[in-house]
Amino acid sequence: MKIKVTSIYVDDQGKALRFYTEVLGFAKKVDFSQGPYRWLTVASPEEPDGIELQLALNDNPAAKAYQQAIFQQSQPAIMFFTDDVKGDYERIKARGAEFTKPPTEVTGSTIAMLNDTCGNLIQLTQLARW
Amino acid sequence: MIDRAQYTPGPASGAQIRKDGEKWTLILVRELRHSPEKVWQALTEPAHLREWAPFEADGSLGTFGNRVKLTTVGAPALHVTETTVTRADAPEVLEYNWGDHDMRWELEALGGGTRLTLWTNIGRRFISMGAAGWHICFDVLDRLLAGQPIGRIVGPDARKFGGWQRLSAEYAKQFAIDSPNWPRQGDQES
Repeated sequence: MKIKVTSIYVDDQGKALRFYTEVLGFAKKVDFSQGPYRWLTVASPEEPDGIELQLALNDNPAAKAYQQAIFQQSQPAIMFFTDDVKGDYERIKARGAEFTKPPTEVTGSTIAMLNDTCGNLIQLTQLARW
Repeated sequence: MIDRAQYTPGPASGAQIRKDGEKWTLILVRELRHSPEKVWQALTEPAHLREWAPFEADGSLGTFGNRVKLTTVGAPALHVTETTVTRADAPEVLEYNWGDHDMRWELEALGGGTRLTLWTNIGRRFISMGAAGWHICFDVLDRLLAGQPIGRIVGPDARKFGGWQRLSAEYAKQFAIDSPNWPRQGDQES
């Protein structure tokens, strides 16, 4: 067994694909559909065969309630690791994303948080070198 | 008696696409040798839908205002959407949604049979695959109505059919859109 994919719920898959590729800089990996079900994933260009992120349409009322609740608590729905959180912050901000937390030093890492415009907060994490 | 193993879909026909802004609509027409009443029953009743449609319904789609859960058959994850029947003028016009697809069915009496038309919106990338899938569903529906059910052919079952690939390519050609690449790892086009 391998951990190959993880999922995030989004309110609109077309909008999410634009945000995760054009703003965050990921690349579309797999996109197919059956009826109204659409399997859509992106991957990091730094790791094209690495773990995929599924952009799953949130048409599930229970999942919506959970998503909204953790958003209101300022909890990130997902975390991405970077080697340059300040550089990513500047680059992503310049493309119009709204950060709810600029790069901030915390124990063991520097983190930043942004709104993915699809119902989620995303945390960027750069681990501190010990 | 027509057997499932012997079934081969005919050539692509009876489909058009329409583009309205960013919204693409697939329009499929099929003439069936059965009365509108009989076709209506097959389009609305769960026990009939189970024999040909790409979703399971937990209630009748034939009553205005009915809330029905539709389960996509063969999707790679459990996928259930709830719909409300927004129009049910038996046996002529039926409207509901399947997830983000608006479904409009029109039944016109034609001799002793029915001209069935489906309008459904679908993403451009998937429109030829959708046309091929519905084409096969309509073939299965036709056999069901004739009292010779061959069993639903949807999702992975449809893709295993050589005919599905061919149909999908034929519809892509008719619609003058790129043939779909399905599903290809590393597909970077947007």
